[in-house]
Formats: sequence, C-alpha cells, structure tokens
Amino acid sequence: MADRTGVTRREALTLGSLTLGGAALLATGCQGVGQWIAGEAAVSARTVKDEPGARLLNRFGYGPRPGDLERVAKDGEEAWIKEQLQPGEEDLATRTRIETMAIYRLSPYDLRDWPENRVVDMLQDAVIIRAVNSPWTLRERMVGFWMDHLNVYARKGIAAYRLPHYERDVIRAHAMGSFHDLIRASAHHSAMLVYLDQQNSTAAQPNENYARELMELHTLGVYGGYTQTDVMEVARCFTGWVEERDMLRPKGKVKFVESLHDDGEKRVLGVTIPAGGKQKDGERVLDIVLEHPATARHIAGKLAYLFTGEEKDSLVAKLESQYKATKGDIPTMIKTIYDEGSWRTAPPLGKRPFDYVVSSLRALDVDCDGGAPLRNALRRMGQPTWEWPMPDGYPTETEAWQGSLLARWNFAYELAGGMKGAGKPVDQLKRWDGDVAEQAVQAVFHRTSQSLGADDLMSVLRGIPDLDPRRALALALASPEYQWK
Amino acid sequence: MNQDLCYCDGRGGLDRKAPSVSRRGFLAGAIGALGLSSALGEIVVDPNRSRNDVLVVVFLRGGADGLSLVAPYAEDNYYRARPTLAVRKPGREANTLLDLNGFFGLNPALSALMPYYEDKSMAIVHATGSLDESRSHFEAMSAMERGRARATDGEGGGWLARHLAVTPGASSPFRAVAFDAMLPESLTGASSAMAIENIDSFRLQNDDDQAYRKALAALYAEGGDPFAKSGRETLRLLDVLREKGASTPETRTGVTYAENGFAQALRQVSFLIKQDIGLEIACVSSYGWDTHVAQGTNEGWLPTLLRDLGNGLDAFMKDLGPETKRVTVVVQTEFGRRVDENSGFGTDHGRGGALFALGAGVQGGKVFGEWPGLSKEILEGPGDLPVTTDYRNVLAEVLERRLGNQQTAQVFPNHRLQPIGIIA
Repeated sequence: MADRTGVTRREALTLGSLTLGGAALLATGCQGVGQWIAGEAAVSARTVKDEPGARLLNRFGYGPRPGDLERVAKDGEEAWIKEQLQPGEEDLATRTRIETMAIYRLSPYDLRDWPENRVVDMLQDAVIIRAVNSPWTLRERMVGFWMDHLNVYARKGIAAYRLPHYERDVIRAHAMGSFHDLIRASAHHSAMLVYLDQQNSTAAQPNENYARELMELHTLGVYGGYTQTDVMEVARCFTGWVEERDMLRPKGKVKFVESLHDDGEKRVLGVTIPAGGKQKDGERVLDIVLEHPATARHIAGKLAYLFTGEEKDSLVAKLESQYKATKGDIPTMIKTIYDEGSWRTAPPLGKRPFDYVVSSLRALDVDCDGGAPLRNALRRMGQPTWEWPMPDGYPTETEAWQGSLLARWNFAYELAGGMKGAGKPVDQLKRWDGDVAEQAVQAVFHRTSQSLGADDLMSVLRGIPDLDPRRALALALASPEYQWK
Repeated sequence: MNQDLCYCDGRGGLDRKAPSVSRRGFLAGAIGALGLSSALGEIVVDPNRSRNDVLVVVFLRGGADGLSLVAPYAEDNYYRARPTLAVRKPGREANTLLDLNGFFGLNPALSALMPYYEDKSMAIVHATGSLDESRSHFEAMSAMERGRARATDGEGGGWLARHLAVTPGASSPFRAVAFDAMLPESLTGASSAMAIENIDSFRLQNDDDQAYRKALAALYAEGGDPFAKSGRETLRLLDVLREKGASTPETRTGVTYAENGFAQALRQVSFLIKQDIGLEIACVSSYGWDTHVAQGTNEGWLPTLLRDLGNGLDAFMKDLGPETKRVTVVVQTEFGRRVDENSGFGTDHGRGGALFALGAGVQGGKVFGEWPGLSKEILEGPGDLPVTTDYRNVLAEVLERRLGNQQTAQVFPNHRLQPIGIIA
C-alpha cells in the first residue's frame, strides 16, 4: 500500500479550491470543490514512502538528478546540505548558455532593440535552464523563493528590460547571502521601485505602494504591527527615490532627487526621523524594518514554510533568534531548518508547476535548453516565470495549484515522447528490456517501486495492456504521487 | 495585494477584517467561520443541477465609441462634432439610427439588439466609465478589471476574483471561465477560475487513447487531497466536453453563430451554461475597437464590429432560450472615444462611453445615466464626454441583485456605491 500520510492542522485548515487553467488563490481565498476539514479524521495525500535523501533533494532542491540519491546515500545527507550551502559555479556549458543570451550579453539599454516578448522568453528560459541543469539546486530553490518574495511583474511598463539585471544582481547575488543585503539591494533597484510606482511618489503626492509592500510583504508581514500612518510616513521617507533618467542606461540604478523629497520630520514605527535627512530617510527606514522583530518573525515563518510546509512555533522561534543574531544570514537559517529535522516528517507539500516541471526534467536527466514548449507548458499550468502581476509572488499553497492538472498531464505526455529543449526521455526506456512499468517508475522517482511503496501506481500501470515506454513514463509523471514532494 | 480588503479605520489604523489576512490565514479563518465539514475529503457540494444565476461579462477591448453605439441624435453638437461619422437621425430609410427614447438612437448595425430594448430586457448606461484619466488602454482596462477608480489605485486582483472570494457558496470547479488564452485581469487571483481558449483544446493530448485515459482515472480515483479531487473534477469536465461533443455544441434550432471569435466564444458560454455545471461568471472579450482611422459610418470597421457584437449577443440569447432567465450580460469597454472625429475619419481615446446590460433582472427599455451634453464647455480634457456614472455602480448592482453578493464593498474597495436601478 502507498503510504498515506496524515495531514496536519495546517493542511486540513487550508481549504482546497480547484483552479483550472492554473489560476491561483488571491489573498481573500475561497473554497472550491476540495473542501474538507480534518478535525479528528486525517485526510490522505497520495504520496510515496520516504527514503533518506529523497525528501531532502525534493524539498531543499528541485529533486534528484540521476546519481544524486546514490551520492546522498553514500556520503550522507549532512554532507549534501553542507556542500549545497556553499554553492559554486555552474558547469561551463550552462554558464556559456546563460551568458551568451542577449539579456545578459547586452546592457539593458542595448536590449531595448529586442521586443518585450523575446526578452520575457529569454528571462524565462534562463531561470528554467539554471533550475534544471545547476548542481547547486538549493541555490536555485532559494532564487525561486526570493523571486516570489520580491516579485516584479515583467509586463508592467518596461520591467522586462530591468529584470535580467535585477535577477542576477539582486535576487541571485543575495539568494544565499544576507537577508538584509537582499532587501537593501531590492530597495536600490529600479526594477522594484518602478514596479511599485515609486516613480510617481513626490513630496506633494507620496505614492504609498512601495512603502506598503516593503512592510507588508518584504519585511514586517501583514501582522507586523504597522499602521496606515506608518505606510504614509514611510512613503514620505522614500519620496525622491527614482529611477535614473535615461531609463535603462544606468542598469537599475536608483538616484535620489532632492526636489521630489519631503524633507520634513517623520515618525516610522515609533522612531522619529528628524527633518533634513534627505536620502538617509529611506536608508533609515530600511534599518528600522530590517531590524524589527516582526521581520524576524515573518521571514522565519516563510522559510520554515518553504521547507516544512508548516510554521511550527519552536522552529520559527529558533529562526527568529538566528535572524536577529546574524542580520538574517540565509544559509544559517536554512541549516537550522535542516538540523531541526521536522522537514523529514512534515506533511507532504504539493509541487507548484515550476517545481513539477523542473523536477520532471531533472529526474529524466534532461539537458535543458529552455524554449517555447517548456515556457508554454508553464504558462498553461499558470506559472510563467516573472508573470505574476501582484507584488506577493505566486501562491505557495498546494490548493492554489490543483487546477493545473490537465496541463501537467499534457506536459507529461509531451515530455515523455520528446520535447524541444528537453530531449527525448523515452529513448532511455527503449534501451531497456523487461518490466516497463517498473522502469518508468524508477526513471521518474529514482527508486524501485518497492522502496517507493507505490503499489497503486504499479497496479494501474501493470493493468494497461501493451504498456509502452512513452505511456508508462507519462503516467508516472502524471501520477498523483509525483505531484507531491 | 492584501490591502485590497484592508481598509483604513479613519484614524490611521488598518482595520483588518478576517478576509484581509494572508491567504493561508484567511483560508484557515474561513473554514472556521463557515463551519464546513465533510467526511474524509469527499466533495461537499454537488455542483450539478445548480441552475444558478450567471453573469456574462463582455469586454470590448480598445475603447468602443459610445457616441456611435448610442448616438444623442437630438443634440446638434453630435452632428457638428462628427461631420462624416455621425449616423443619420431615425427615419424610414436604411442606415438611420433606431430611436430609443426621442433623444438617443441605437446604431443600425446593432439592430439585432433592438428587440431586447423594446421588450425591456436590455438597458443602456451612457456617459459611464472609470475615473481613470490616463486615456491609456492598458491603464484604463486595468482600473476597470481590478474594480478601481483609476489604474494607479490599489493593487492587483480582479473584481470578479474578489467577488468569487466573498461569495464562496457553490463549489463548482467551473465557477468562472474566461474564453481566452489567459485569465483576464478581472479574474486575476481567482480560485475556481479557468481560461479556456477553446473548449476544443481543453482535452488530453492523447485524447483517443482509451487505456491511457482509464489509467489516469484509476490513478486519481481515490484520495481526498487537493490533487486527487482536482484530478477527478478535471476528468469529469473532460468527459462532459467529450460526451457533449463540445467541438460542435448543439445550438437551438434556427440559431446560427457567425464564424467570428466573439460569436464562437459566446457559443461556448451558452454550451457551458446549458450543461449546468455551476458556471457563474463567463468572460468574453471582443477585440479591435480602437478605431483611430477610417472607423466607418454605415460600412467599414466599426459597423462590422457592431454587427458582430449585436448578432453574436442575439444568437446567444436565442440559443439560451429558457436559460436566459438566469443569465445577465454586461457589455463594457475601457473608455469611450473623443467627441470630435479626427482628420483620419476616426476617433481618438476619450472618457465616457456606453455600457449595455441584457438579460435576467435588467430593467430595460431605458437609457440610464445623467447625460452631460456635448457642448464644448462641458467636455473634459481634450474634448471628451465626461463620466457621470461610475461603472462600479452598475457592476455592484449586478453582483448584488443577480449573484447574491452582499459584500460588494469588498469587491470595489474605497468606493461608495450608488445604485442606479438598472437591475431589479
């Protein structure tokens, strides 16, 4: 029998809501067909047995590539996480592939000759190529996480042209560094500031957009204890922080225009910021919010959820104090989550579309080249990279993504048969003889069906007359078991 | 985006009601509040046989010329401003306006809609729109689709998405369908919403592979988790569409939908409504209303669009037959167009425009809204019809009176709703 894991309070209380076409939950939430409550009765998710290594690679990275599980079994999980916490460079082929893309080869200014759609395509390709091919899969997981945390919508204004630089010098540069540095870098990058209308924020008419999201999403969190007055005061502090004229030429640089700045006294979260501070006002705000205990709590909770799918008080408390002690050192906090260990036994987490696609490609040892079929597959599933319009990033909850199944099934079938940018995985199976079902399951999960405990899946596959490699692979990828991590 | 449902308490604090918290927080709260319960994850509500009310939102993208759709023929300024584009006053001859109330006339290319106006199932609101003065398509559409006064207001998240969120009653996976490649901004952030470009393409790639299809069904046969349930629902929809032969949805005898994208989308909406699978919101877009040059008077660009619009809606209503009693259609656009025609025999981006409401509950046979007139001193900015009826008043009324939404203030935050009486 497949292992039926009991669902905890968190999972039980998050209602299901079906979202066909891959659309996602809004802040307001809404319950759809998948309504259930566990109460005393646990609900089951169709998941597989845990095995040392499998969950580690699925949660802390984007899933195993061939050989990864064996390596972890041999060297131990501890060795793997330690290595991943100090990522190095990608292999030469991947680096070359990325660096020769126009979005990285050209300055943002010169990139203007390219149509927006092509720029977005390249941005999306770059992210998936790295996520699939990189040996530093924990860093890629974190890049994805911070991209949501500091989301910018590629199709607002000319944001797409600012994003290559933003992704590399803000998100990627600090993904495994200090949270303080990450937020400061985002606050000093025009991709973020223009996205949140900082360009329209003047002493006469301060725009609250960036001020609010800085507190609500980037740092303090919605329960962070700030008021509408704080939002307005922070907005006043940031007046005059605008993108350099000449748009893209300064590569995301933000300049301070004194004539737009409100230089009066402000009071932010109980701290008085004296008049005459000029650009220092904004810097002072960043100090205040980054050192605020609510930020420690908010980030601790989000990181705990990323790896465990819960926000266990004891773990969050540990992370909070670490945040405070290290100015938000990201690797330290990740290591704490690893050491605490509840990720091993926490309830299953649904893969988001990007996670699903990337883990499939990694499992099948694809040398990913990006391209339209992959981009379209993600679009149909509702998670095209950089295309979430709202500043909060793509939803993290499993139920927000349950409507993407048809697109997942079609992706599975297409991939199994061969897909541009992802090779022809079915060829691997054609070289083999014997039990096609078993081989397909091993190719996808990297484990024997027995160690997997996927009896249901096996019996379905074995029940298909004349099971051929393509259908076997596709069904293993399309199975409910593979939607979870 | 959380502040969408956060409002200021007037004293500088944020009054965060239950729905205003984070997604997870709210979801947790909601289940407690609603006290939903069920056995081991089985579906609580059978979305079948709901016979629920449906709202069809037709968006004319590009800024439809309100003065051509519904012309103030009794005002000389109209003829002065539109020497080549004005439609002639109502009369016996062809290509004359269809009199609505002695002041306004319906464009003859929309003649298919006249019977609905006459039998009082269609109403018009004129000089309506948002407060967005950007005259930019993107900004103005964004304002409307997010239910805002202006594009610069508030955050993302569509008005229809918020409507779905605050009316969690039914739990069909097909609550909202947009007949487009991606969800429109009005549905951004919605759960229970899907974009189907074409029902024909909502299918398994290897659709004919019965064994594969059966295997999927077997894989998803059990389990109360979100994916298992969704898998079964998806397969059910695939079955429905397959069984009903969605590629050629049956239409009522004598009804023909034209071969344009708009009509074909409506045909699919009608099909889904008739299936009675819990559809509450359908979004259909008609593109190409940005008539800057040579828009045409009796023939040409705009008249063709108008004919497609009128005939499409007429076919839709006829095809629905008795189902029309639960279907309300709203036709909106991001802005109207400049009063003066331009030197290229077209019109430029303007402000106030016309809106149509058709079907169930509509207090038809009337042109709603305060008419500001077209005299120079009245016109706004570069010479545009001012907006006298906030579009949100119309939409809120539809939500409240047709779709049972008692929390329209959450759908249209920071707006004091003033019903205009267009819906019973």
